This record gives sequence, structure tokens and C-alpha cells, in this order.
Amino acid sequence: MKIKALIPIATLALAFAVTGCSSPGAHYIQTGGQESVVNVGQINIQDFMSAADAATGDLLASGVLDRVQPPPAVLAISRFVNDTSQQLDTDLLVKRIRVALLHSGKAVTTTTYGVGGPEDPLAAQMQGPASRAPDFTLSGKIIETFARAGDIRQATYSFQLSLTDNRGLAVWESDKDITKQGARPSVGF
Amino acid sequence: MKINLAIFLLAAVALAGCESSSPVNTVQNAQATGQHTLIQDRRVLADRSFSRRVPVVAVNTFMTPGDLLKVQVELFNRTGSIQRFNYSFEWFDLNGIQIDNSLEVALIPDQINARESKFISAVAPSPVCRDFRLKLFQAQAPDQDQ
Repeated sequence: MKIKALIPIATLALAFAVTGCSSPGAHYIQTGGQESVVNVGQINIQDFMSAADAATGDLLASGVLDRVQPPPAVLAISRFVNDTSQQLDTDLLVKRIRVALLHSGKAVTTTTYGVGGPEDPLAAQMQGPASRAPDFTLSGKIIETFARAGDIRQATYSFQLSLTDNRGLAVWESDKDITKQGARPSVGF
Repeated sequence: MKINLAIFLLAAVALAGCESSSPVNTVQNAQATGQHTLIQDRRVLADRSFSRRVPVVAVNTFMTPGDLLKVQVELFNRTGSIQRFNYSFEWFDLNGIQIDNSLEVALIPDQINARESKFISAVAPSPVCRDFRLKLFQAQAPDQDQ
């Protein structure tokens, strides 16, 4: 009899376990926070944030930027290759690195040098003859690798960065992998 | 009989979130030559369950050649299963003012295997940073969309 009384409770518990909390209405969340949606098949904003922060921390700790006299080092942004199947704006990665480096006081980015022309054409026209040439160029590549076993899908996104000095030597390099795995739902609700 | 089956299914659903992992064996030199600058820490434990499962073992800091504070925190997983967590560091200047570098703080996803000791570390974003705060969250089951 007691067990029979447990059946409605067990049913309710199962319903909660399956549905979770009720779906919320539109609301703001912290960008890259705990509530962010995670997709196995695409690069999410928190992946860009995480990769950029890891690269920036590693670059700052390496001390490479501190060798330039007089500081801060001048950085030019070179080619960033998107070798994934997704359409991406690589500025989601690059701009975050640039902002962090600027705020660190260790490097500034020139907007008058760039692959395929200056980022800021007006600034390039205004540039005087005594302007400083870049000390480094920053280039990179984003690569994806997919694997699948049964219902389990896995994606690895590799964020590769190189900092090259004005002798043409890559004086700092970084390779940050982000791997995500998830099971494809076999039953839809 | 049917009721037993229902209870078994419920238990299976409840346990589905736990992932077992092999405990980690480690070996290292007994007399470490590296000098760790261990610091005293102050903790606010809101999720005592997670802090019991994955306690902070030690915190040490050092200055990089570029005068940036680097923090390394050692965690230990006391359980027999993988523990997933997210973490972020906040940075403060000499006056205790949080350094707002205008970038959203990224939560770094990470995991620690059963009985594993693991280090997480971060470099301060600016030479003015002198203090830090680490936030550790147990990872929530994410919304997934394939």
C-alpha cells in the first residue's frame, strides 16, 4: 500500500528529471557565463573568450613583449585563417586579444598596417613619416576536428597563434584546443 | 514487480549524471627543488558540497618577468568520479579596486579526474594587479544543441 502511494511522487520526480525547470522567457545572461548554451557543432562565444584569454595570459607571461625598447611594443595584425566549416568573424578572437594587450600596457596595435590594406585608411593617410614600424605581427588559424562514435559527437577547435618579430622569427606561439562532446538525443520531447 | 522496475529506472535516471573515471596515480621527486610561495587564503564556501568533493589544497603566487602576478591553485578531487567545474579569476589593485578591463570575464570550463590533483593558473591582465579572487563553480548540465 505504501509503495502504491509512492507512485505519484515517483511519477512527478521523473517528470521533473526529464523536463527540468520550465523554459524561461527572454532574459539577459552573463556573456560566457554558466547559463550559456553549448553547441558541439559550432564555436560558441565562450570558446572565443576562453581561447583569447588563455593566449593573452600566455603571451603576457612569456615576457616577449617586455623585450621591446621603448615599450609598449607595437603590434600589427596579420592574416587569420578560418579553417573551419563555419562562417566566423575572427575579430571575436583577435579583438579580445588586442583589447587585453592594450589594457595591460604591454602592447599597442597599429591600425595603419594590415593584410590587404590598413584597417583604418584615414589614419594611414594621416600617418607622419616618423611613425613607428610594428615590432611584431600577430597571425593565426582556427581549425576544427570532428569525431563520432555511435550517438556521441565530439568536436575539437584549435586556436593557433603566432607572434613574429621584425626579423621574421616566430618568437611566441600558442595552440589552445577546446574539445566539446555531447550525445545526440535519441528521443525528442 | 512493476514498482521495483520503476524505482530502478528512477535510480538509473538519477545516476546517469555521474561519470566514473579511473583514479589517477602520480609520482614526483620527493625533494622538490622548486620553491613554492604558498600564501594564506581566505575562503567563502557557498557550495560546501562541491568544496568537500574538490577542495582547494594550496595557493601559490609569483611575479612574472614582466611584473605580472601569476596565481596557481591546486585542487584535489576526493571522489571516484570526474568532477566538472568552471572558474574565473578577478583581479584587484593595491587599493582593493577591481581591475575592470572592460572585457567580460570568461568562465573557464575544466574537469578533474577521480583522485586527481590538478593545478589551475592565471596571469594578471595588468602590472597594477596585486590581489586576486578565484571563483569556482560546479558545472551545470549545459543546454545542448547539436
